[in-house]
Amino acid sequence: MLTEASVNLLQSYQSGIDSYDEILDVNGLVKPHWRALFSTMEKLGLDELKIRNQEIISKLRENGVTYNVYESPDGMNRPWQLDPIPFLIEQKEWNGIAKGLQQRALLLDLILRDIYGPRNLVKDAVIPAELVFDNTGFCRPCVDIKLPASRQLMLYAADMARGPDGQMWILDRRTQAPSGSGYCLENRIVMSKLIPELADGMYVSKLSPFFNSLQNTVLRLSDKSKDAPNIVYLTPGPNNEAYFEHAYLASYLGYTLAQGDDLMVRNGFVWLKSIDGLQKVDVIIRRIDDDWCDPLELREDSRLGVPGLLQAIRMGNVQVLNPPGSSVLENHAFLAFMENICQYFLGEKLIMPSVATWWCGHKKELNYVVNHIDELIIKKANRKSRFRSIYGRLLTKSKKAELIAMISAHPHEYIAQQEVSLSTTPSLIDGNIVPRYAALRAFLVADENGYHVMQGGLTRSSPVKDRFVISNQYGGLSKDTWIVSDKTDVAQEKIVLNAPASVNRHISLPSRSAENLFWVGRYCERTMAVIKFMNITINVLNLDRNFGGSAKQEHIKFLLQSLTHLSSTYPGFIDEDDLLLDPYPEIIDLVSNHNRPGTIAANIGAFLNSVSAVRNQWDLEIWRIVDHIDKGYHEIKNASSMNSNNIQKTLDGLYNNMFMFLGVISESMPRDNSFLLLETGKLIERILSRVSVIQSNFGVKNAESVENELIEATLINHHLLVNYRQIYKSQLSVEAMLDMVLLEKRLPFSIVYMLDELKKNLGKLPSTTRGERLNDAQKSVLEASTLVKLASISALSKCDKNLERIDLFHLLSEISRLISSVSFSLTNMYFSHTMMQHSFFNPVDNDKDEI
Amino acid sequence: MKYKLTHKTEYKYAEPVNNYHSLVCLTPRTLPKQLCQDFTITVSPEPSQIVERVDFYGNTTHYFSLHSPHKTLTVLTTSVVECLTETTGDPLTKSYITCEEARFRFKEERALKISLLEYILPSPLVKWDQEICDFAKDCFKDDRPLYSCVQALCTKIFTEFDFVPDFSTINTPIKEVLAAKKGVCQDFSHLAIACIRGFGFAARYVSGYLETLPPPGKQKMQGSDASHAWISVFIPDYGWCDFDPTNNVVPGERHIITAWGRDYSDVPPLKGIIFSYGKHALKVEVDVIPLL
Repeated sequence: MLTEASVNLLQSYQSGIDSYDEILDVNGLVKPHWRALFSTMEKLGLDELKIRNQEIISKLRENGVTYNVYESPDGMNRPWQLDPIPFLIEQKEWNGIAKGLQQRALLLDLILRDIYGPRNLVKDAVIPAELVFDNTGFCRPCVDIKLPASRQLMLYAADMARGPDGQMWILDRRTQAPSGSGYCLENRIVMSKLIPELADGMYVSKLSPFFNSLQNTVLRLSDKSKDAPNIVYLTPGPNNEAYFEHAYLASYLGYTLAQGDDLMVRNGFVWLKSIDGLQKVDVIIRRIDDDWCDPLELREDSRLGVPGLLQAIRMGNVQVLNPPGSSVLENHAFLAFMENICQYFLGEKLIMPSVATWWCGHKKELNYVVNHIDELIIKKANRKSRFRSIYGRLLTKSKKAELIAMISAHPHEYIAQQEVSLSTTPSLIDGNIVPRYAALRAFLVADENGYHVMQGGLTRSSPVKDRFVISNQYGGLSKDTWIVSDKTDVAQEKIVLNAPASVNRHISLPSRSAENLFWVGRYCERTMAVIKFMNITINVLNLDRNFGGSAKQEHIKFLLQSLTHLSSTYPGFIDEDDLLLDPYPEIIDLVSNHNRPGTIAANIGAFLNSVSAVRNQWDLEIWRIVDHIDKGYHEIKNASSMNSNNIQKTLDGLYNNMFMFLGVISESMPRDNSFLLLETGKLIERILSRVSVIQSNFGVKNAESVENELIEATLINHHLLVNYRQIYKSQLSVEAMLDMVLLEKRLPFSIVYMLDELKKNLGKLPSTTRGERLNDAQKSVLEASTLVKLASISALSKCDKNLERIDLFHLLSEISRLISSVSFSLTNMYFSHTMMQHSFFNPVDNDKDEI
Repeated sequence: MKYKLTHKTEYKYAEPVNNYHSLVCLTPRTLPKQLCQDFTITVSPEPSQIVERVDFYGNTTHYFSLHSPHKTLTVLTTSVVECLTETTGDPLTKSYITCEEARFRFKEERALKISLLEYILPSPLVKWDQEICDFAKDCFKDDRPLYSCVQALCTKIFTEFDFVPDFSTINTPIKEVLAAKKGVCQDFSHLAIACIRGFGFAARYVSGYLETLPPPGKQKMQGSDASHAWISVFIPDYGWCDFDPTNNVVPGERHIITAWGRDYSDVPPLKGIIFSYGKHALKVEVDVIPLL
């Protein structure tokens, strides 16, 4: 049924336009593809669009797509913002833009080679000498850093927006380690999954050729004599704003994600410290800025780089892209000289205009800037200086005079740019489609013929009306960018891998990742062990409180004390009689206090940290579960305001999700070293936790009624109650119970089973013994497993005259000691080098790589 | 004059060091007035290779790395250096180019500007403000020859400042040195460079050695010499002219040049990145022995 009141989305959007807008052509007519998009949205309906938007938000959250914001009070990770309405550019227009971008890339490459080479641009007076010698990006140690390729600038990103003349204008560029291409990819994947109808009736160009091209370029740079070059994606680490993207791209491209101290230079080569030992690295794609690459020759205080890296590059033993030193191109002053440089190198005009820029170091330009300050934005030429752009028109008279004085004192340090109005584009804000300013980042990679332009890009739009705030640091929205045409038969570049398909069969696991995986296993199991036993204890408590009358029973005390032992939250219930009288406050603290080591909240927190430190290891199913665990984590931190019923419900939920986490891993994770280490961590923790409970429950003999309760609790703790009843019916005996939990080989939670599994795992991990068959870890497990197998259950069950079960106590202590030493041996064997320079560095005046 | 030069640096670490990367800048330069022969560098424990390189400023550097645990590191360099001028270093004919004229030529002569710009601009360790310029105000007069202005500055630093070895480190800011009126050759050189650049001229930092003379009638002691630093200023038509503000002399045959750059940070004699915790002790012995 059609209602007359239904407002046409397009008309209502058009009525809100008060600047020039993306949907209109120069004649003020709606461009055909925008018309098509609006009619699709019309069909979908605004309500449905809002629903899809919600789905997109939760999908991005589930996928763990974040963009870290420095100095944000509410923690670091901020979900990535994606607007469901894409940014459309017609293929034909885009082809023109691509030509302009390719010309820019070509020029920047020529500039880069000239500055670190003959410096003819300066000698021939095309650019002032200040652009080189007063440029903080000009790294003197990099004058002899060269890639063995015709081009030095391999990756380039350009920021553009539509100027008042309807053309795209270049606003800015990134030439060190351009960010954003990974977010493009993720945006596209989410859009195509959740709102595929939007592309009805048009053809949207693919992004993947860009990444194929990048892979080809990297392959060409790598050692040709090797079939499987070792390629590393170098990240500053989880504290970096775009860490999600680093991990995402590394796993998409199939490269090893590493931090500076995962690498070392030795004998002039770069090596990856992996659990198989050192592995030679052929190519590094870096996401750390120039200054931080090598503390020996660049910033001494850098903990992000690799000492000796520059020397290794000079010796030709490793290729780094972009080559260190390329930040020289990021100086804002170059924009003022691009037209002349283009004439100088290519003898032609720039295809794409840049936003008008004046370098104040020349008298004439300085005068212009002083006289037109109201129309200009003032910036420092050097990007690295902590200087916020100043909008001339926003200043009071006296502030303006101050600014002019400041510029005149050191004119060569400043540039001025025309403040241009930009086009607006349809954005979904608070459930309405409204015009907002937008800018677009395009990505290029050097290929054999020149530069390959990604058929798409990262559009950012301002969340606020009439203001141009697009940086993600300040809450900008991102948009998928569609290069659209009518026909699907647009000449598609055929991607041919130009080397025989190089397959890296052996994926090396960096030591740091190895250590984190090990702790993922340990924290996961540790959390589950405490939750499990906590639930058992709460159930008994509830039963007692509700059905057993007021008298506290002896077995509850033992269970509570076991809980303290298990979680190592001493003194807890051990010496505090008050706590035993009213155990609930302590229990709630054990659940919720994330600042107290050993509590459930603290363990989950540690678990989540380890999980995100190796985020490139997980696929989507796992992220979804991790997201649920994360939600549960936030709930239990507030457990003090919950009643015990809800606490248990939340704990159950958490437990199930963690079980699911382990389940997905055991069903889907490749059986490689990553898996083995995670399993090993899990088993070590599982053995230690079970041993601890048996020891504190049965170390001392108690009255039969008490022991019966403890036997039942222990069997539940080992997932064995059902199995036990099937065999022994309702007869509870310590001997039978011990026989089962210690020695029954077919039960996954029996000590013997777990020790045997651990032994198998250790045997599959790479071993570094010299001459010996077994390493220390293997010896310890063998010893523990033998001790258990040789034990006599009847001797273990006996107690001395003080009612102490000495044999049992000793056996369990010994297993505990041996298994703890396994963890220690593994650390020495596989993770020790991660301890050397492990440091999280706060970005000091690190240039923020804003996207 | 001919010298045998030895420079021994020894680090002792409290904890064993497993990995160490080092860059050494200790090779005397070969120049029209100075000849370097028979340079050797010996590192213990012995690295698998020592890589020689000529840096942006034409200085020779050596890179090496160590990868087995060690608690002592020794770097020993030796060379024979012949100084070809037997003068005090003063130009034979005085330069009469005034400050005003020099400044004008830096601005107008493009080739000159390009080659000097980085020595006129601030550099990592040399920045200045009004206070520093005020300090040198009475030395620099537009109508006086630049050469004698720089000499006046060096004399001013020499007379107003005390040479106090342990007062400063290489990270002590120039302003602190200026306030305390004491420091060592690096500080005086940085201060002088800041003043000279502050008035718009080109100055660079020179790192090297100085032969010390024993007190009259006494034997020279072994290891008593030291590495030294002074400055070089560009005087139009004359080129780079050296000045030693620490000793208020014009460097001559007793000054041996190793390297130059914008300031100390371009030419530290020995720097290293260490992978270890714990403290270390450093001992440096330098001998500049005249050969007959």
